[in-house]
Amino acid sequence: MMQDADTADTLPFLDVANPAFSIRSQAVLDARDASWCARTPYGLAVLRYDDVQKLLRHPKLRQGSYRWPAHNGVTGVFARWWEAMLLSQEGDTHARLRRMANPAFSPKLIGSLIPKFQALANQLIDKFADKGECDFIADFTEPYATGVICDLLGLPFERWRELADIAAEMGLALGVTFKQDLPTIEAATKRIFAFAEDLVETRRAAPTEDFIGMLIKANEDKAQLSDQELLDMIVLAIFGGIDTTRNQIGLAMATFIENPEQWKLLGEQPELARAAVEEVMRVRPTVTWVTREAVEDFTYNDTPIAKGTTVHLFSQSATSDPKIFPNPGFDITAERKPHFGFGGGTHHCLGHFIARGDMTEALKLLAQRLKNPRFNGEVEWLPDSGNTGAIKMPIAFDAA
Amino acid sequence: MKVHVDMSICLLHGQCVIAAPEVFSFDDAGGLVWVTEIDDSQVADAEAASDACPEQAIILG
Repeated sequence: MMQDADTADTLPFLDVANPAFSIRSQAVLDARDASWCARTPYGLAVLRYDDVQKLLRHPKLRQGSYRWPAHNGVTGVFARWWEAMLLSQEGDTHARLRRMANPAFSPKLIGSLIPKFQALANQLIDKFADKGECDFIADFTEPYATGVICDLLGLPFERWRELADIAAEMGLALGVTFKQDLPTIEAATKRIFAFAEDLVETRRAAPTEDFIGMLIKANEDKAQLSDQELLDMIVLAIFGGIDTTRNQIGLAMATFIENPEQWKLLGEQPELARAAVEEVMRVRPTVTWVTREAVEDFTYNDTPIAKGTTVHLFSQSATSDPKIFPNPGFDITAERKPHFGFGGGTHHCLGHFIARGDMTEALKLLAQRLKNPRFNGEVEWLPDSGNTGAIKMPIAFDAA
Repeated sequence: MKVHVDMSICLLHGQCVIAAPEVFSFDDAGGLVWVTEIDDSQVADAEAASDACPEQAIILG
């Protein structure tokens, strides 16, 4: 172990484990002014753009959240899956799985899904447009994000509720009450695997050319993709795609409500929707930090970082860094440096082409059909760190 | 086939190194290096790399 009391003492401290801690607080801005990183109860928080960019793909760091079940003293079917799946792997196993999965998420395949995203968004908006109000999460972002996964898996939209419930219950595993919620999480994990097994059996009998079809074809060579890895990958697509997209579209709406002139502009110029997605993810990413872990002792910016140290790369803090973004205000027409909302490096989000595609189509249609959106009651939020977002967002609007 | 990478948008994620390790690699300083002229046996991997690039920085032709 390397220790350097002098250095550690001079770093600011952020109590990120406190549920009341906000990633957007003045304390974070002050820490970012004072230093490139802060100490936290977990390890280090990296706060500035250039350092986040470098450390995302630093050779002495590996993906860090694989230890999450172990940190919580949890074993079982969820922990087995979490530790085995793509995101937790490194090196040759990671490369083999990623090579397998990438083509199934390629921009070419996503292109064919765009009309389905548009139809889904319109169908959902149709249900509440005349009322002039809705719960934006329950009535739009949740069925939309889940419906997109149904499209990806080639399932009818009617299965969305079942998938959304499973994802939400499994998602409890990412919260601080992981151990307490374990019975619910384990039951949901068993349901999702039964779901995936059923899907594989159906598609083996009636092959398809889609995401599942590609994975099943790869699975013909068990050394390339084993039966267990096939199921683990399908579960990852469901689990990884639903809550993140649901949260990010909700954060987009909240950001636009606070910036009404930008919403008006998007309604007038729908071609700005793609840039709007990027700008929302810069100022309000649902993934507020990316986790890495030191694989050996090393020194960075004169700071010794010991093997095993957890390093959180603060995405929102980095992409509002005044050195890189002198005018950091929300502006969908501004030229911006890339954000870190999809992580980066070897573990860069696998589903980002889908997420970018479905969020672009959603914002385009929403801005044209929902004018002058405003909050219409109390918004309920997840804690403002980790993976954040709204769980209830009553809004009112003028139907176009 | 010729391989070109637009280094003004490349963010060095390394997805191309995973998809086509015979064509793309990192040097000791962490910079991206690649084979600029590939033969037919490497085309499929290079196309997979081009598809997988999160920044869509790889141009084949």
